[in-house]
Amino acid sequence: MSDLASAPNAPWLERKGSREMILQAFVFVGLGLLAVLFLLPLLWMVSTSLKPIEETMKMPPTFIPTSPKWENFREAVQRIPFLRYFGNTVWVSVLGTVGVVISSSLVAYGFAFLRWPGRDLFFWLTVATMMIPFPVIMVPLYGVFRKFGMIGTLMPLWLPAWFGSAWDIFLMRQFFLGIPKDLLDAARIDGATEFQIWRKIVLPVAAPVMVVVGLFHVIYSWNDFLGPLLYLTKQEKYTLSLGLQFYQSQSGGTEWHLLMAASVLMVLPVLVLFLLGQRALIRGITMTGIKM
Amino acid sequence: MSPVAREPLSSRVGRAEFRWAMLFIAPWIIGFGVFLAYPVVVSLFYSFCEYSVLAKPVWIGAGNFRDLADDDVFWISLWNTFRFAAFALPLGMIFSLGLAAMLHICAIGRATFRAIFFLPSLVPVVANAIVWMWMFNGEYGLLNAGLKVFGQQGANWLGDPFWSMPALIFMGFWGVGGSIIIFLAAFQEVPVEMYEAAELDGASSWQKFWGVTVPLISPVIFFQLITGIIGVLQVFAAPYIMTGGGPMRRTLFYSMYLYDNAFRYLRMGYACAMAWILFLLILALTLVATKISARYVHYQGS
Amino acid sequence: MLYNEPLVSLRRACLAIAAAGVAWSAPGPARAAPLELSYWEKWTRFEGDAMIAVVADFNKSQDRLHVTYLPVSNVEQKVLVATAGGDPPDIAGLYAAQVVSYADKNALLPLDDYLARAGITAADFIPVFWNECVFRGHVWALPTTPATIALHWNKGLFRKAGMDPERPPKTIGELDEMADRLTIRDASGHLIQMGFIPWEPGWWNWAWGRFFGGRLWDGESKITCDEPEFVAALQWVQSYGRKYGKDQLQVFTSGFGNFASPQNAFMAGKVAMEIQGVWMYNFITQYTPKMEWGAAPFPTAKPEQYGMSDADLDVLAIPRDARHPEESFEFIKYVMTRPAMEKLCMGHRKFSPLAKVSPAFWASHPNPYIRLFDSLARHPLTFALPHLTIWQEYSEELSVAFQKVYLLEASPEEALATVKARMQKRLDRELRRMKRLGLSPA
Repeated sequence: MSDLASAPNAPWLERKGSREMILQAFVFVGLGLLAVLFLLPLLWMVSTSLKPIEETMKMPPTFIPTSPKWENFREAVQRIPFLRYFGNTVWVSVLGTVGVVISSSLVAYGFAFLRWPGRDLFFWLTVATMMIPFPVIMVPLYGVFRKFGMIGTLMPLWLPAWFGSAWDIFLMRQFFLGIPKDLLDAARIDGATEFQIWRKIVLPVAAPVMVVVGLFHVIYSWNDFLGPLLYLTKQEKYTLSLGLQFYQSQSGGTEWHLLMAASVLMVLPVLVLFLLGQRALIRGITMTGIKM
Repeated sequence: MSPVAREPLSSRVGRAEFRWAMLFIAPWIIGFGVFLAYPVVVSLFYSFCEYSVLAKPVWIGAGNFRDLADDDVFWISLWNTFRFAAFALPLGMIFSLGLAAMLHICAIGRATFRAIFFLPSLVPVVANAIVWMWMFNGEYGLLNAGLKVFGQQGANWLGDPFWSMPALIFMGFWGVGGSIIIFLAAFQEVPVEMYEAAELDGASSWQKFWGVTVPLISPVIFFQLITGIIGVLQVFAAPYIMTGGGPMRRTLFYSMYLYDNAFRYLRMGYACAMAWILFLLILALTLVATKISARYVHYQGS
Repeated sequence: MLYNEPLVSLRRACLAIAAAGVAWSAPGPARAAPLELSYWEKWTRFEGDAMIAVVADFNKSQDRLHVTYLPVSNVEQKVLVATAGGDPPDIAGLYAAQVVSYADKNALLPLDDYLARAGITAADFIPVFWNECVFRGHVWALPTTPATIALHWNKGLFRKAGMDPERPPKTIGELDEMADRLTIRDASGHLIQMGFIPWEPGWWNWAWGRFFGGRLWDGESKITCDEPEFVAALQWVQSYGRKYGKDQLQVFTSGFGNFASPQNAFMAGKVAMEIQGVWMYNFITQYTPKMEWGAAPFPTAKPEQYGMSDADLDVLAIPRDARHPEESFEFIKYVMTRPAMEKLCMGHRKFSPLAKVSPAFWASHPNPYIRLFDSLARHPLTFALPHLTIWQEYSEELSVAFQKVYLLEASPEEALATVKARMQKRLDRELRRMKRLGLSPA
């Protein structure tokens, strides 16, 4: 899919010179104002993160800190302890992402290109499970991880990804179905095994969808709050979400400058991801939202 | 269809293909069984049990469901969740549709605007909650500072029994970026030819938008509605962090009470019963939405 | 052995070589490494340091066991989750509030046998604290640091208001009157100082009824929070919402800083009188050491009840399924010795839960009001948390009622009737469950 940002604007709009100009001006100003409102909380977060504590409690507030206090970041990193949480989060994200990309592409291959009895039934069962709200499986899932002795470790947060996820399997299968079968059949005639076809033919072609699935999983892991809340017990194993929330619940009333500094640091990787992968993210979202 | 005829499953090659298939989907067979099917079945069993994890489940029939019917807090949490959904979902959809339409009209800087609207939806929920707690702070929050400029005294938003819920709904608008992207893409996928017939009839822009564009993207709107219902009924993290359900349980959502029962009071059976009720509610609402939308949703080619 | 068979000697040689290998890999002579015990505790900072010092003493006092102190946030919930998850710590530092519900949920190990062997009895502790550890006739935990709560007042603000800084209020009536004199608004009517706010810090919202002489339940089967004393207490709470304006108060209190900071409402001089625990001394000396303050029994509705308080407690317990209960108890036993306990409580600048206190402890205690807090704990009317398995929900329900009342959303009678109705239902359900399982309610 091409980047639709460059597509022509509303074809249903009448092109009547001056009237369109006025409308364009209105829309532009309206979007501009809304854009400012959308950015405001983020700017406010950055602004607060650079203030000394007294300045956070000044009314009317200063939007640009009188003298930016970069030490806030150092203090936040030490206090929270940010690096430990960050490391745990990266661990969970990376392992989970690698797992979900590999497993889902394998499974999607099985659903898209191989024939076996009950395939379609199982596929639709898989899709149907997306309707199940998490709370339904929350308690027994806790029991499962308990049996495996994983409560209190990071494993419940990334291990399931290695066994596929309905959503990603679905997404990949849809994409795989668009790959011309001749390509695969030709390889089969040349004596390639299914695994080789998956590895050498399908994966390279499917790179875009794998990037999408991977990116979404990174964002999901970075965002996940309920999982860590359920399974983690020791503070040394906390992820950023849980660690930040814990710090907030302990010192939320006062240390807004440090909280905001930590929030900035938590948002930063997402921002980088956004800048690097905006197109893939948008492609992924439109894929999931439209191509159902 | 592939032009090369494939062997039937009973043949040798077919059996090889079957073995390969099992190999490929093995992860999912395990994942589906261990992390999905087993928990679903067991959860249904627990919902008829008294179960605290630390002692064996005891079968109590419909006891949990009877107790739930008689549990005021259950009804409060359900009512709060519906109240939230009834505002957040339609308002959020209208808001994102409107913004998408504006983006669609906009000829200059569209990519930039789109990026700006999209970005907040990626902010992790904990950071999001903390930033908005600070925005909503009664004494030093930016919102009240802004109101003061207009001579208004703002409330202590999240601590106020009336305003806490609207504040959470309002905050939700910040995260509609995903929907905006989807609606915009849907707008742009409507083939230009579709408008030509309407143009021949002399339809205005407005008429074309409502008569052609919206009906054509109605499946997308419908899909957003369904995923929205599933999502909004499970709201948990933001209110858990921001209000803890307070003040006076005005922002106690269904998932929060469910979580409390499961992991704070260790009434796991009770929590499972709640979860199944939630599941049935979601199914019922989806069904209703499907029935209603069958009249309005326009599927191309059908 | 008289006769050496070659094969046997060969086998013996192998064994000798293997043994040598083992000896080689083990550092030093045959001395087993001490058994590692994990201890989760809620305390951080100086409170954590005090316990860490006691743990270090214990580790030094013998060489078989090694306790590792781990500060854990939300310990009351994390221990439960970990115990339910099958991976509990060996020793858990909980709040007394958890003892009953944990015991009821089968999450703790009863300590009776260990206590009998160690010769630890009720007589060793101040009664109100011992009672907090007993439920269904078993002992589930042992006290660590205790606390009682008292009125803390800011002498500087008393003086500024032209009041005698050495004369705190003794009755609720006096409290209200003094609070009024200590309340200051700016020119635009904005509150800038309050004399007293019943919901600051808001940790004992459930307890006001008890200060007014009410009971939470009858000890058997009836919730009694709608008794007139509770209604009177909430009417008193509501009077603050009415007198000073609930919206004004809401905005004013939302600017209060975190408890452990110089922006704490009491230490920042935003609230002149506050109900606070024995720990307040530490925070004042840390953040606002120049502040002039006093502590006295909290005023009561009836003068004859003056001197009562709420007694609260931290405890040590052994989670069910902990792997080394015998060894874990050795550590707990050590903490119960007078020197260790006094070292811990001195580190926390609290008093001791033990019935007998060494004179040196009092003599060297830095908190000038420490004897007051100790006497509050020994007052016959002093109350503690009720032994209700549903206490957590009950207290949440009470705090909802409390909020409704101070926000003027409901009358005290209505709010308490709701609490009673809901909690009676919960209790009935709970009693049915216990009957089914053959458990006793208290």
